[in-house]
Amino acid sequence: MKAKRRVVTSVGRPAGAKRTPTIRRIRPAIVPATPRPLVEPVVAPEAANDAVEATSGEIDLTVDLGRGLVLPNPIVVASGTFGYGIEYGDVVDVDRLGAICCKGTTLKPRIGNPTPRVTETPGGMLNSIGLQNPGVDAVVEKYAATWATWKVPVIVNVAGESVADYVAVTRKLEGVPGIAGIELNISCPNVGRGGLQFAIDAAAAGEVTAAVRRATDLPLLVKLSPNVADIRPIARAIADAGADALTAINTLSGIAVAPDRRKPLLGNIYGGLSGPAVKPVALRIVYEAAGAVRIPVIAIGGVTELADVLDFLAVGAVAVQVGTAIFADPTLPVRLVGQLEAECRRVGVPSHRDLVGSAVLKRTAAASAKGVEYRP
Amino acid sequence: MTMRLAAAELVDSREILPGQWLQAYHAPDIANGSRAGQFVHVRTGDYSGMVLRRPFSINTADAATGIVTIHFRVIGRGTEWFTRLRHGDPIDLLGPLGRPFEVDPRSRHLLLIAGGLGMAGVRMLADEAIRDGRQVTLLFGATSAREVYPSSLLPDEVEYVVATDDGSLGHRGFVTELVPQFEGWADQAFACGPMPMLRSLARLAEGRRGRLGVASLGRKRGGGRTDLLGSTAARRKAFLQVSMEQNMGCAVGACLGCVVLSVTGTPQRVCREGPVFASDELVWDGAWS
Repeated sequence: MKAKRRVVTSVGRPAGAKRTPTIRRIRPAIVPATPRPLVEPVVAPEAANDAVEATSGEIDLTVDLGRGLVLPNPIVVASGTFGYGIEYGDVVDVDRLGAICCKGTTLKPRIGNPTPRVTETPGGMLNSIGLQNPGVDAVVEKYAATWATWKVPVIVNVAGESVADYVAVTRKLEGVPGIAGIELNISCPNVGRGGLQFAIDAAAAGEVTAAVRRATDLPLLVKLSPNVADIRPIARAIADAGADALTAINTLSGIAVAPDRRKPLLGNIYGGLSGPAVKPVALRIVYEAAGAVRIPVIAIGGVTELADVLDFLAVGAVAVQVGTAIFADPTLPVRLVGQLEAECRRVGVPSHRDLVGSAVLKRTAAASAKGVEYRP
Repeated sequence: MTMRLAAAELVDSREILPGQWLQAYHAPDIANGSRAGQFVHVRTGDYSGMVLRRPFSINTADAATGIVTIHFRVIGRGTEWFTRLRHGDPIDLLGPLGRPFEVDPRSRHLLLIAGGLGMAGVRMLADEAIRDGRQVTLLFGATSAREVYPSSLLPDEVEYVVATDDGSLGHRGFVTELVPQFEGWADQAFACGPMPMLRSLARLAEGRRGRLGVASLGRKRGGGRTDLLGSTAARRKAFLQVSMEQNMGCAVGACLGCVVLSVTGTPQRVCREGPVFASDELVWDGAWS
């Protein structure tokens, strides 16, 4: 009891103390105590007009990630699930998305891992693509011109084996029309040296972020791995190194067994788990990361419907990425944009930003300061 | 025809062999314009448990009636879910996907080779070939007589030759052992089935010219430009085209889950560059096969 109270008071310490307040001040949502009544056709025209004015003003879904990158809405398609944005063709209207994160891109072409590379698991899937991609030069040459014609910002997911790799890829993306930002993938669990070594260590994560930060003025997102004991020091190191936003989470490392039980199913043995099964883990990491840093956090992990989007906003995310669900329902991200707008209208807020952080308790700092003992 | 998301309705579902089902869906958008070798990616109703669609070869497609059929074996929860569908149930299809079989316009004699469920991959090509006035011989391999695809479900014009592992019907042994009898007769061959079967067929096809001294159709190998990997021309000129299978994620080329290795060392997406490949475009040995 005493310990808890002591940590709570630390929230109020003046800035400059080592542990600065970790909750970003969230504007109080202007949620009316009772839901606004729906406009009934029987209401007198005057009153009806007033009601409409109150609830049907423009809903502002934009998300400002800094350095001029403003997403038109907070629904982003996740790296590796949407290719380079062209694969779904007419099935998806990309210009209605908040942003596209393209497939992980490395300096040199990579052929990826042996097959099988994907398999379904209960409520999710394992993948071990192994960063197959044609290399940054080919990506820029083949796709950037197309991206430049789109309204939707395209964020290039950058992967590498060394700090020099990340910096080299970043330099090649700098100043290319059509590239709106960089998502630093330091968390691919599927290749021997896929950068995961950077995501599990705060000092290394800070080092690679700082190196890339020095190399570019592009908006810089850094994608966190859930395969760590405590995300908060890593998130802080990345934020301190100059990242503009965090993306959480990448996949969880896992294994599936072949039907004959004579070997692991995936050609690479290990795969990354995604889908609804990982959502509780993603919620925890977003909750902790958002509490630890002042930069925006983009949530990803098991979003399949509006309720999931609202959950992630509630724990402090400013935007969400949709990944695995696209495979079953390619039009889901575009529909979520409309549903989120309708939800803002329903609860009577002018922007989805008013829904952010609603489930973050004041006590967050206390709980997180207690460390990791609640984990196995 | 470009792919689309189409709402379909189950019109017929029956178990044609133990554990193997033939289902007919009313999906005019898909039936009209799809070709042999292409596939559909079908969503199950239980998204929270089964996050992936299931790919099925288009078994037959009838543009006049708008009926598309699929043929599958119950191997897991997804396929089991499909068997519980009733007449009139709605379903969500993404398709038609992938590149089709390419028949050289000059080919008169087509050899189709199917192993087990591989029948679903080549079945529609029999319809197309007969419509175009070609002769079709279909070699079919199964473990035993009770697994043999019923001849009543094939067009009458098809010559149907069966091999079973236990000899309970037709030739005793692998279906690949029947191929030498027909490789001189056939202008082109098209195969779908288990990987070992496709691998041995690819080896047979490789040595065929040498054995038979068959004049190759079209431009001679090495005599001009080489066709782009995965191109229509490369398939059309090949003696053997194979329909490949891989665990699939998105089925549109975005996730890179379903690749096979090509002779140039680059992975090819089964869903996009395939599922039909010229057999000489692929690597048949090694960690990826």
